Amino acid sequence: MMDWLFEFIQSWFAELAGLVSQGNKRVFVGYLLSAAMIAVVWLMWQRRLKFLSAIGCLFQRNLWWTSSSRSDYQVMVLNQAVMLLLSPLLLSKLALATALFYGLNDWITRPLWSLELSVFWASVIFTSCLFVVDDASRYYLHRLMHRWPALWAFHRVHHTAQSLTPFTVLRTHPMEGVLFGLRSTMVQGLMIGLFVFLLGDRVTLLSLLGANVFTAVFNLLGANLRHSPVPISYGKALERWFISPAQHQIHHSQASKHWDRNFGVVLAVWDRLGNTLEYGSNKQQLTYGLPDQKPNEHQLVTLYWQPFKSCWCCFQRNKPNTISQAQQVRHDK
Amino acid sequence: MNKTLLSIVVATSIVFCAQTHAAVYADFPITVKNYTGEKIHSESFAGQMARHSLHNSVKKLISKGADVEKTRAYFNGKAAGRAIIDPVSKDGFPVLQTQVDELSSGKNLSSKAYKGLITGMPGGLTGAELLELMIDKAAQTENGYDPLTGYDYTQLVSKFTMGAVFYNQAVDVYLDEKLAANTAPNNEAYEEGAAYTGKEHVWDEAFGYFGAPAHTLELTAEDVYLIAKQAPEGFTKADYNGDGKVSLETEMAYAHAYYAAGFDKGGKTQYLHTIVQSFVDGRKLIASANGEALSGGQRSELIGYAKVIKTQWQRLIAEAVFKYAGSVYGDIEKLETIIEANGDAGKAYRSYVKHWGELKGFALSLEAGGVNLGETGVKLNRLLGYSPVLLGNTQVVALVDGKFIQSSSVSLSEYRVQMIKLQKLMIDAFGVETRSKDVTANLAELVNALGDALAAEND
Repeated sequence: MMDWLFEFIQSWFAELAGLVSQGNKRVFVGYLLSAAMIAVVWLMWQRRLKFLSAIGCLFQRNLWWTSSSRSDYQVMVLNQAVMLLLSPLLLSKLALATALFYGLNDWITRPLWSLELSVFWASVIFTSCLFVVDDASRYYLHRLMHRWPALWAFHRVHHTAQSLTPFTVLRTHPMEGVLFGLRSTMVQGLMIGLFVFLLGDRVTLLSLLGANVFTAVFNLLGANLRHSPVPISYGKALERWFISPAQHQIHHSQASKHWDRNFGVVLAVWDRLGNTLEYGSNKQQLTYGLPDQKPNEHQLVTLYWQPFKSCWCCFQRNKPNTISQAQQVRHDK
Repeated sequence: MNKTLLSIVVATSIVFCAQTHAAVYADFPITVKNYTGEKIHSESFAGQMARHSLHNSVKKLISKGADVEKTRAYFNGKAAGRAIIDPVSKDGFPVLQTQVDELSSGKNLSSKAYKGLITGMPGGLTGAELLELMIDKAAQTENGYDPLTGYDYTQLVSKFTMGAVFYNQAVDVYLDEKLAANTAPNNEAYEEGAAYTGKEHVWDEAFGYFGAPAHTLELTAEDVYLIAKQAPEGFTKADYNGDGKVSLETEMAYAHAYYAAGFDKGGKTQYLHTIVQSFVDGRKLIASANGEALSGGQRSELIGYAKVIKTQWQRLIAEAVFKYAGSVYGDIEKLETIIEANGDAGKAYRSYVKHWGELKGFALSLEAGGVNLGETGVKLNRLLGYSPVLLGNTQVVALVDGKFIQSSSVSLSEYRVQMIKLQKLMIDAFGVETRSKDVTANLAELVNALGDALAAEND
């Protein structure tokens, strides 16, 4: 038992260290630094701040050490332990990919055109398709999180953040973490199974810093500013295609007119297709969090336990304890 | 004082020497009661090593296009004066023996080949009959290669001889029926005047058929691999007694021991050392009986070692089936690409046929282990067929009047998919672990490249 506990604690610390040391994690130190540099340059350019003022603006105590941000850190640390315990119970990506690979070989004949693709093009196509399908599935699951009351009960944990820092990305209820994990497993498992069936061992992942090259570039270009008070907008022409930090901050806005907008992660096309796109502005001033938020919602016990109660109420007749943002939007209208 | 010191030095040296040689399959004491001969050790497996040299020579003869009489002289013949054709001395790797008789006289392969039915090839032949047929057919081709049927007889004969003779004799005879209490008893000499008991020799023969150097446990898998390849850098590893030459009886690596080393050097498995360790432990156990009949407990323990050897040996052959199924898969992919581009498929086809011969030889070997493979055997034979699928989508379906008859078959592409199923069958039925040339390896590589999803990142 003690051995197991010791090993578990070691793995837990390793996972925590991995959050900032591995390039496939959003809060990798390299991405944090690149985001900070972009933010400083943007503040000096747009807000006419001096370098030190820009630095001071980014690293304010009332941003990084509020009750909201402190709960972000607590959730981040505890979630790593919870996910470590849950991960052996989750569907294996490799098992899914292998099952699909065998299934496809049983059901259909591999088209001969696939043999003509070189390793380079096979890898470009695989990496691109994986990125696009992954991004689309993130949009759709995120949308569901807002529209289904039972899912919103868990996702609202993320939206109770009142001060946004890059670590808010990890302010996630473990149940939601499990759903994200399943989504990732489904998408990656299916794509790997399909592409290895089609292209065999010519498929490789084009990677940068240990992550899909597109994801790494997205992160290097300041993805961490999505959860920050720095409202960088790309302008309408670009925001039709890519979600800017300002657009994601709108997604976190407390104002009801901003609810259920900008579900996308990288590409804005899904929001356009789903009629949920909202353009950002460099001058926007927003208040984050939820209007019905209670003072104790930054307490760890509340953050973890309340969603289960709310979810349970969703399935109980005559006890509508929680409603989705979408329902609230319709109600307000 | 000096006497005390001397005693300590001598005692220490004896302990040191005993420890040094504890792992070597050598220097076992003579336990036969009233032995009057001149030998000082009881282990003896020269006959098996002679058969390894015969097998290597047969393979070389077929690949060089030798006539059938010459090849049969090594396969069926027992005549004196046969030169060892392989292994022979090479630059940086001199070998001690040059004649089969220097190892053991009057030995052949055919008399020890499996006499049970082999269902993986047409004609209802026994293992021995199938080998003879293939040797005859090989002589009618150019260097053992028949492009019309897709048979590479060099590979087919070699790999199946390893199964039908070495594997069969070891696991189905010596480690099976000859371990019975009243067969080759340990309280009698194996034969009149022999320096070894019945059980000692039974165990030695099985060890010999595996083809490992006697000092394997003092070597790495990589060392044994280099020895089998006769690589100059393997010479000092092979020459255990330091006489400047490699003894083909005790210091050379052959057959399945070579394949075990090949798989193990990747680090995932320990076939070579597990098998040889069991042989050494079993032999020590028999020696410890000191020429008395083995007790029930001792025999049970010995059967336990035999079981480990049999299981590992079978899995090792399944690893080879797995590996060559992967090679055949890759060959077909290349062929499909070349055919699609209207290119010259000659070289790719030759490679396909060679790998298929190795695959089939190992697959047939699994049938010769004295174990009914049941449904696994049926699936194996159906997936593999009697020949590779040829470019016109035909395959050998029968043997009529000594001729292989072809008929239409699945397409080359479908046959490629069958290799995937064959690999899966080896995993499910035998638990192969090395998995060389795994067709699905890229799945795991891509999964690893993408990492885990433990971070629970939100958006």
